[in-house]
Amino acid sequence: MSALWVSSLLVLIPVLAALLTLGLRRTPHLAARVASGAAIVSVVVGIIGMAVAPTRNQRTAQPSDTFHVGDLEMPLALGSGPTTAAVAAIVALVAAVVLVFTQWYLDDDDRLAQFAATVSLFTAAMMLVVHARDLVLTLIGWEVMGWCSYLLIGHWSRKESARRAAYKSFIVTRVADIGFVLGIVGLSAGAGSTGLDAVVSHWTGEGGAVPEPWTRSVLLALVVIGVLGKSAQFPFQDWLPDAMEGPTPASALIHAATMVAAGTVVLAQLFPVLVLADGARWLLGIAVAMTMVGAAALALGQSDLKRLLAWSTVSQVAIMLSALATATEAIGPDPGLFHLWSHAIFKSLLFLTIGWLSVVAGSTLAMALRGSGHVHQLALVAWLFGLLALAGAPFVVGGLSKEHVIVTAYEGAIGSGGPGVVVLAALLVTVVLTAAYATRAYLVVAAPDGERSVSTRSHAVGDETAAHELDETAVLEEQHDHSGMPSAPVLASLALLTVLTVVGGLVMLTGLFNLHRASMWWMLLTALLIGIGAGVVWLARGYGDPRNAFVRTVRQRTLADNGFGFDTAYRRLVAGPVLWLARIVEFLDREVVDGYVRGAAASAGIAGWLTDRGHRREAPSAGVGLVALGLIVAAGTAVLTWR
Amino acid sequence: MTLQISWALLLPALIPVAAMLLVLVVDAVVPRASLAAPVIGALGLLGGAVAAVPGLDAGDPRLTLCTPAPDGRCMWDGSPLASTLQIAALLATLGVLALMSWRKAGVVDVVMLLASASGAVAVVAATDLGTWLIALELATLPVIALVAWRDRRAAAHGALTLLTTSLVSFGLLVLGAALWVTATGDPTLTGPSLATAWAVPEQRVLASLATVVLIAGLAFKISAVPFHAWTPTTLTSGPLPISALLASASKIAAVGALLVVLAPYESVLDLSPGPHTVVAALVIVTVASMLTGTVMALRQTEVVRLLAWSTIAQAGWVLLPLTALSVAGRQAAAIYVLVYAVASLVAFAAVRAIHGQHVEDGRELTAYKGLLRRDPIAGGTLAVALLVLAGLPPGIIGLVAKVMTIRPVVDAGLWPVAVVAVVAAVLGIAVYVRWFAVMFGDPDASAPKRPGRRRASVAVAVAGTAVLVVTSVLPQVLLGLVS
Repeated sequence: MSALWVSSLLVLIPVLAALLTLGLRRTPHLAARVASGAAIVSVVVGIIGMAVAPTRNQRTAQPSDTFHVGDLEMPLALGSGPTTAAVAAIVALVAAVVLVFTQWYLDDDDRLAQFAATVSLFTAAMMLVVHARDLVLTLIGWEVMGWCSYLLIGHWSRKESARRAAYKSFIVTRVADIGFVLGIVGLSAGAGSTGLDAVVSHWTGEGGAVPEPWTRSVLLALVVIGVLGKSAQFPFQDWLPDAMEGPTPASALIHAATMVAAGTVVLAQLFPVLVLADGARWLLGIAVAMTMVGAAALALGQSDLKRLLAWSTVSQVAIMLSALATATEAIGPDPGLFHLWSHAIFKSLLFLTIGWLSVVAGSTLAMALRGSGHVHQLALVAWLFGLLALAGAPFVVGGLSKEHVIVTAYEGAIGSGGPGVVVLAALLVTVVLTAAYATRAYLVVAAPDGERSVSTRSHAVGDETAAHELDETAVLEEQHDHSGMPSAPVLASLALLTVLTVVGGLVMLTGLFNLHRASMWWMLLTALLIGIGAGVVWLARGYGDPRNAFVRTVRQRTLADNGFGFDTAYRRLVAGPVLWLARIVEFLDREVVDGYVRGAAASAGIAGWLTDRGHRREAPSAGVGLVALGLIVAAGTAVLTWR
Repeated sequence: MTLQISWALLLPALIPVAAMLLVLVVDAVVPRASLAAPVIGALGLLGGAVAAVPGLDAGDPRLTLCTPAPDGRCMWDGSPLASTLQIAALLATLGVLALMSWRKAGVVDVVMLLASASGAVAVVAATDLGTWLIALELATLPVIALVAWRDRRAAAHGALTLLTTSLVSFGLLVLGAALWVTATGDPTLTGPSLATAWAVPEQRVLASLATVVLIAGLAFKISAVPFHAWTPTTLTSGPLPISALLASASKIAAVGALLVVLAPYESVLDLSPGPHTVVAALVIVTVASMLTGTVMALRQTEVVRLLAWSTIAQAGWVLLPLTALSVAGRQAAAIYVLVYAVASLVAFAAVRAIHGQHVEDGRELTAYKGLLRRDPIAGGTLAVALLVLAGLPPGIIGLVAKVMTIRPVVDAGLWPVAVVAVVAAVLGIAVYVRWFAVMFGDPDASAPKRPGRRRASVAVAVAGTAVLVVTSVLPQVLLGLVS
């Protein structure tokens, strides 16, 4: 099987699975099983794809008939490459695991089949973005993902908060997509082709004519704006924590491998252009630097562990993007993609684990989850290794990739004029904060068993419940009458992800990612910073939840839970002015434009009345009178023309 | 002097004439066979239409009734444009025959219809003034009789108006024809003789005057302002099928006659001085018709009167491309009159299917409330016809026709006229949408009762709607016919 076959199959299998699943929606369990089966086939194809992946510098693309739309070429080709194969394989794996988990988690849900179909379609869209060698295909995948994420987040549409979260994610990402679409259109129009290779060679100046640097920066900045929206980066970050209203498997999929990571994939494809566009790199660098620190700080302050994971995703995606913002041309985009790879593994592990724990505890609130890890040895181990990777502990998969990102930022800081210094500083601060919130998350879940009942009761009337009155598990509680033990396939999946979290770094040996050596000094420094972050939280463990040592007042907690009040800011700064503008336009339309229309109607009416007056007597006499008038006109013409 | 005659080219006119004679003979021999007249009439009209079909895509000129060479002049030109108009006029007359119920259509009605149809066929192909004048009167005079023939006092009133108008019109036409012959010394309407006359200033003025007088005479038949006064009276007082005839077949004949008159001007268009007087006359008539017809139609609440005023407004639209005096302008006018004739025939057929044949009270717009639910077929066909008349999608062919009429005007640089046309188009949308909007909603109790015999009317409406829908989907079918 050639690499091109693999790329076509990986896009087609989930599409077919989605259609088939939707067709079988009357038998939801069968439908979910079909979706999972197709996803597992995708995993096998993805692993084959890694084996047959083309080697470096040998990018392949489908030879296909080029469509011509006016002066624009449209190859509409898929392609493959070494990193493409690795990312596609991990997307397939996460999707399969999520579907297996969904079968258990949403066992009693009446719309299980629709959910599975949406997950499959979502996967197909991500696969399309990963394999696209044509910006039009990228755009299609990008938009389908936006639509599917809306459906997944709003799955429990009976809940008001879920509907609002779905709208919010849709609208926020859509606003950012304005930039993305404009950027794509500009890049394609400049190159005269939507083919990725043509676009890259045009805008890097390989084709001969060197493009205007200013235009290149503006267009790339527009693409970056779209990426910031989809990846929930500042200032669009606030939709992602709200998206926790969706079922946990949906969160795992969105966070781990698809939607938020899509921006990294697209920018990696455009990397040769991005590295030349300094304006876009500065925009990206500043945005991600602010995001990674702010999101990590917010993660530390969350009262809800699922939202903690959401903020950690925002922070980790910022780390991926920071590698793209700072990498020099020699380093290339692969450190960022490697972090995407490892993040997909450990973040899906963490989300699925917390999904399991929330079923056990009946909530995702930290105080409810206290000590819940003791339900099963595997849960505790999975949680521990997931958090170790999140914190970036040496040698687990997250540690290795984060190390490469830091080295990339360092090289960028000393080697090029990009935003390397700012990003490097932010990265180091983030390492400390990440270690701190990861430690906190572990301490809460792994608290001694005896404390659990006490803490749940004592906090039942506490100040923290206000943040989340309507919790997703309230829906689940009615559905799960079992003891909270997942099925064997789910346990096997979790075990697989845990193993991969530990040994996933071995993918470096395959050479699929083009990585340079990480320096031992940086590794030591990072370990030290992790130690500081973890140690501070460890010392604060006496507070019950270590968070309470950092956010002490109710006001601070509310601020943290609300993500620094960005939702209010969106409403005040964006929604408010837009509505205000809409009212002005409506007023102008009603009072000015409609005024002309009413005036026209009135003048037509007056003209009609006047004409009517002239036709009151429609007798033969009037007819003859008008004939006479016509004769006078004709005679007048004759006199005038007779010279 | 012998004429070269190609009978095949004359068949479209001869077959209806033969059918007319046959009807009279059959009536004399078997007076009781009441169904014979309509059947023979229908066959005659259909046969004429079939005979005109070969003319649609003729590569060679189809001239006949020619005098011998070297000074050969032809009196009959069966060009594709003329053949298209002939077929349309014959089929429209057939539709009108169907609208009269079979039993009621007596010998006189059928004979009059056939006479009118053969006149219409002849006038669009005639190129000499004699044939042209006689054919034009043959096309219009029987209609007067049809209006007055079997109806009440009101109809006689309408017929009288039409008769007065026709007499004045005929007078003007004869005057115009005489002036033309004086100016050009040539009884045929051909470009070269006009171009020769144009070189001499006196003859040029005389030719212009002749054309203006001919336009004035034809403006009566087309019911263009200020020669329109008969239209609302006659259309509302006569029987509905005859009103449909006046709005479709008669209109095609009159426009065809005008095309014949204006055809020679193509050869003097680029000369200096150009035919400014003719253009000015056409512009005045066009602008006055479009604006007066539209604003008056906006004020009507009685549907036939509304259709009558809309006829006047649409006459302006037909004249609009002719102001350019170019080939494209004449083709656009032909297309517009075809579209208009089909749409108005559908509208009259639908009104006939809803109200019955006679002039009655209650043909108010309010009676159409909820028509689309109450009577989906009549309502649906009427809706399509109104959309085409307004030029709104999905009645795309109406829009295409309107765009085609404006294009030659813009090409000729007559911007003010084009602007007036756009204003008239906007007001026109209000005219038809006012009616269209009433048809939605729930029917109420005051709805008129469905007339008993209406199958033929519904069939005419459906057939016409089919034509409109097909040409809306494939406008090039219609556009290909006249080019």
